[in-house]
Amino acid sequence: MKNFWHNITSGLKDIYDVFTLELYRIFTDGGVMLIFFVGSLLYPLIFGAIYKHECIRNLPVAVVDDSQSAPSQRFIHELDATPEVNVNYNCNTLSEAETLMRQRKVNGIVYFPNDYSDRLAKGETARLCLFCDMSSFLYYRSVFTGASSVMLDEMKHVELERYAMAGVTGEDAETAITPVPYEDVKLFSPAGGFTSFLVPALLALVIHQTLFLGIGILSGTAREEGQTVAIVPERLRNRSVYRVVIGRSLAYLMIYIPLVAIDLVLLPRVFGLPHIGRLDDLCLFFLPFLLATIAFSMTVGSFVRQRDTGIIVCIFFSVVLLFLSGVVWPRSNMPLFWKYFSYLFPSTHGIQGFIRINSLGAHLKQVQFEYQMLWVQSGLYFLITCLLYRVKFFKYEDRAVCI
Amino acid sequence: MKHLWNCFCRELGLIKESPRYLILLTAGILFSYVFFLTFMHEGQPENLPIAVVDQDGSYLSRRLCHEIDATQGVDVVAVYNSHSEAREAMQRQEIFAFLEIPAGTYSEVLDFKTPHLALYSNNAYLLAGTLSYKTLSTIGKLTSAAVQREVMRKKGYSEDQIMGMIQPIEIDAHLISNPWGSYLPYVLTTMLPGIIGVMALLLTVYLVTNEYKLKTENIWLSTAGDNMLNALIGKLLPYTCWFTLIGIIGNMVMFGFSHFVCLGSFFALSVALLLFVMAMQAMGVFLAGLIPDQHLAVSVAAIYGMLSFSMSGFSYPVVSMPPALQAISYVFPLRHYYLTYADVAMFGATFTQYWPHLCWLLCFMMAGCIGGLLLNRWAKSNSDDAAIEC
Repeated sequence: MKNFWHNITSGLKDIYDVFTLELYRIFTDGGVMLIFFVGSLLYPLIFGAIYKHECIRNLPVAVVDDSQSAPSQRFIHELDATPEVNVNYNCNTLSEAETLMRQRKVNGIVYFPNDYSDRLAKGETARLCLFCDMSSFLYYRSVFTGASSVMLDEMKHVELERYAMAGVTGEDAETAITPVPYEDVKLFSPAGGFTSFLVPALLALVIHQTLFLGIGILSGTAREEGQTVAIVPERLRNRSVYRVVIGRSLAYLMIYIPLVAIDLVLLPRVFGLPHIGRLDDLCLFFLPFLLATIAFSMTVGSFVRQRDTGIIVCIFFSVVLLFLSGVVWPRSNMPLFWKYFSYLFPSTHGIQGFIRINSLGAHLKQVQFEYQMLWVQSGLYFLITCLLYRVKFFKYEDRAVCI
Repeated sequence: MKHLWNCFCRELGLIKESPRYLILLTAGILFSYVFFLTFMHEGQPENLPIAVVDQDGSYLSRRLCHEIDATQGVDVVAVYNSHSEAREAMQRQEIFAFLEIPAGTYSEVLDFKTPHLALYSNNAYLLAGTLSYKTLSTIGKLTSAAVQREVMRKKGYSEDQIMGMIQPIEIDAHLISNPWGSYLPYVLTTMLPGIIGVMALLLTVYLVTNEYKLKTENIWLSTAGDNMLNALIGKLLPYTCWFTLIGIIGNMVMFGFSHFVCLGSFFALSVALLLFVMAMQAMGVFLAGLIPDQHLAVSVAAIYGMLSFSMSGFSYPVVSMPPALQAISYVFPLRHYYLTYADVAMFGATFTQYWPHLCWLLCFMMAGCIGGLLLNRWAKSNSDDAAIEC
């Protein structure tokens, strides 16, 4: 019994020692401090500023009106009045508008052929042409949304006229035009904005990547300085390795709990991003997310031989991880190989879970899969890290391990 | 010139000695090309999972389900009985949208009343939400049109008249240089060269500061005849060639193998790529000169490099950013590469139109020169210190 208590107290003492040592190393390393504190707080602020406006408003477009008629002019006026686009140029010929487009003065061209009003008068289908700048999808989206909303409005106008000619008026005409109307409800981000969609994902990714980068740098530095993966107090050398891993993890966890609170709880509220998630669900979810990220980073970190390799690996994976998370490209359409590949990274489940709790108001029950996966990852990477450290301690036993 | 050559050879020797970094970076770049080209090979997501909440259970609602399922854009993966079931499925991300057909829809249609369908889409996932919404709203419009057509046929209108009644105006959309509306050219053409650029930047910062860290800066400078410009060009030239080469091959794959549209000259694009890589290296030299500590310099370069992707404006246009950030966007070479790409490949612009972007890329060489001056000063002060110690 005495032995048992001794084990526990010495274990706790060792963990505490590793913990304080790791904190000391973090706070004395300028690069790591920069990544942990400046990186994780500055990036969200910059992203918040870059993606401040949800949608593009008043995108410049040119119109070419070969029809020169009342209906086409009415269309142009209505188009100008939409929030999405602004009719900045009235051109005489299509080539004039094309030149403006090439000079990037406009992002779209609306062209009315000369038979536009004739066809309308004859009761046929009138056509208008739309040329969209595809250099950014948001340009295309704005121009297209603007033009189709005006088109729908105009269509109703024309249809009412045509039914009136056929002797159908009033409510009968309304019913005849849209016998089965539909309402559309855009859930979770009513404005359909870019900001509410991308920034929450970026916030979670920043937490993952700064933590990953910081731990990678610390491991790399230790190796560069001729140590094993972690600097350990001398007397810990022949003890069980889990004390080192737990001690280090606790140090990162302690630093990151307030950072997560700021980035993922406070900032969505400050930036006016969706935040309909329950706070207790969020907190319960963050714990395995942080643990999995820490364990994952320590596993990868033990392969990092030089400080700057860590940085390069991390940078390179940032973009890949964003895509793997399934926020940009739907998970249902990922090739199977990449889908399973994405299960290797805590960020995949972390970002998914965070968005679903925070933006979609899901409960923990609905992110069960992600939640469990993060715990599985935490456990798995923790064990792998222990194993790797064990191997390395044996390998470098002859080398000086100083405090 | 001889000194420059010497320095170039010295660098090749260093690469031969420890090729680890270059191999790592090249592998990383190759991985991103393979990853992105295979990851989004569909171009535009198809068969997105959606659901139908069928409270009507009639002939009409069943037919609607089948018709939705038959469209290319979406796939009906489930039919639910209640709204809350569908909403929970959406929160579990099993579906991106759902159509609710209330009870009594069919009988109301037959009675010439107006039943309301409801269409819910998940906008928290922009691409999937928008696309599934688009398909479902088309179905919604077609449903009305189908009923309308039946009624008019019974009244004895001709098919032409009916079409004119149902669809009086039509938009004929032309998506310039990306007629499929594919996601691939939009993301990859700027992002992949961007990754190459960021790698070039990090490597430059690392290599230059490494000379100081290992205290070999004097050997390096003397190889270059005590001329910092020669030393820098000689040192960085092998990497400029290598990264530009990979970039050009990458562009060949994208515009050749993957058939992305390039209206202008491929040569112009390659020149832009070369200048872009050089500009990123120049920024690297600048950062290395500004921050003598290697660890810190690489960290700062990493932060700057990562911002390139957002600040280039290929996903979120720069015009929609706050004015201060619009100004800052000019100091990111990727922004100018993206503008050149859009001009050359998408609009087939000639030199008279895209030269300002190339000039901007050349301006970054000045940053490189300032970095060189600073580096020179560090080298001098270091050798002075060494002399004093002696």
